[in-house]
Amino acid sequence: MIDVKNLSKSFGDHLVLDDISEHIYPGEKVVVIGPSGSGKSTFLRCLNLLEQPTAGTITFEGTEITDPKVKINAIRQQMGMVFQHFNLFPNMTIRKNITLAPVRTGLMKQEEADDTATALLQRVGLEEKADAYPNQLSGGQKQRIAIVRALAMKPKVMLFDEPTSALDPEMVGEVLDVMKELANEGMTMVVVTHEMGFAREVGSRVLFMDGGKIVEQNEPKTFFDHPQHPRTQLFLSKVL
Amino acid sequence: MEQLAVYYELWKPMLRAGEDLSFWQEFFVYFYQAFLENNRWLQYLEGMGTTLLVTAMALVLGIALGLIVAMVRTAYDQQRPGQSSSLTRCLMWPVNFLCKVYVTIIRGTPMMVQLLIMGLVIFKSSRNFTMVGALTLGINSGAYVAEIIRGGLMSLDPGQSEAGRSLGLGYIDTMRFIVIPQAFKAILPALGNEFIILLKDTSLITVIGGKELLYAAQGIYGRTYEQMFPLIGIACMYLALVMVFSALQSRLERRLRQSDRR
Repeated sequence: MIDVKNLSKSFGDHLVLDDISEHIYPGEKVVVIGPSGSGKSTFLRCLNLLEQPTAGTITFEGTEITDPKVKINAIRQQMGMVFQHFNLFPNMTIRKNITLAPVRTGLMKQEEADDTATALLQRVGLEEKADAYPNQLSGGQKQRIAIVRALAMKPKVMLFDEPTSALDPEMVGEVLDVMKELANEGMTMVVVTHEMGFAREVGSRVLFMDGGKIVEQNEPKTFFDHPQHPRTQLFLSKVL
Repeated sequence: MEQLAVYYELWKPMLRAGEDLSFWQEFFVYFYQAFLENNRWLQYLEGMGTTLLVTAMALVLGIALGLIVAMVRTAYDQQRPGQSSSLTRCLMWPVNFLCKVYVTIIRGTPMMVQLLIMGLVIFKSSRNFTMVGALTLGINSGAYVAEIIRGGLMSLDPGQSEAGRSLGLGYIDTMRFIVIPQAFKAILPALGNEFIILLKDTSLITVIGGKELLYAAQGIYGRTYEQMFPLIGIACMYLALVMVFSALQSRLERRLRQSDRR
């Protein structure tokens, strides 16, 4: 589904991603973990070209999206993204937050988008917040809305950039529950997270990144129970 | 009204002759002379109309110019290496440079000098002083508005436009629905300030013959040789205008704060 070949990214002299090649298959739940500064967020942001790779190619469903001629907006419509700091639009109601993109990109008419928004909000138990503004919500509610906003575009893959890192511990659960539900429905997901429990439970594959490289990857059980690489062992001994 | 004229005719010669009048009698004579005699209040009214018209035109021009310049400058500053094709970068550079030159020249020279250059050099043959004045003020204001808007755009969390773009919205839509509305709210106080400065700066177009409020006052004290009442009078009128617009501005701000309520 997403094919990454020899991806490198540097900010000035600082090499953040170092020649990464990876493939993400449909229906997979890839969890990316690693220490701060290991490049995991940059890797994720390269997948929908929020960061422009310095070298290498990314192919999404047969389209090489790193080609400058590609209409990137059309590609991004099929890749939902959820941010650490939610990035809801504070100047709009929740309903408008959700319906803006589907309507403006021509995916849906306003009424259809409104219905979709209502249905999605019901799914995450926030239908009564449709006319509220983001500032009136708690962090966990905001992040659930952010997930719904991305889902309203009916994406083929969802990218999560540390979706629970800015939340109060109490609210982490409600967001992870929504993500689990999404995973159970078969959504292809790439999740950058520090939630090892989530990685173990939901992930179909865990990537461990350090120093801009994927150091080790495996299916979760083996990965957590029998880490091979010393760097992985060191990292897991600190976080588990 | 006619009653007032009778008193005026009665007291004015007495004042001239140096006779002892009460404070209010004296005040009345000067006031009548400055505002009522020969329907002079009409001249002030006309002047105020011109002041408002010039302010409005300069404001529209200033915001249009400022918006364009600010968008060019931020778009140029925010582009990251490799993100846009080299062709757009080649096109952007001179445009950005032009915008920088514009802001530098306008902010770096006095308003009065700009007016004189526009009125007496560039549009030497134009008789439409008021329009030349409005044009100059608009161009002047544009440079300041550009910096205000640029500040507003830069103050916004980049995550906002990233979120817009990640949903597949284009640059224009992201600016229109997400960035500009939020930036506008943030810059409204500064923009209101700029508007007030602009309103008062219209008085400067008198130097090239623009017929606004100060021009009217000057015309009147040129006839009566009595400066205090016309000048204090127009000062009060400017003040009243500014107070009205400040009140409107705070109402607008309150309305925009709607989404902040918790």
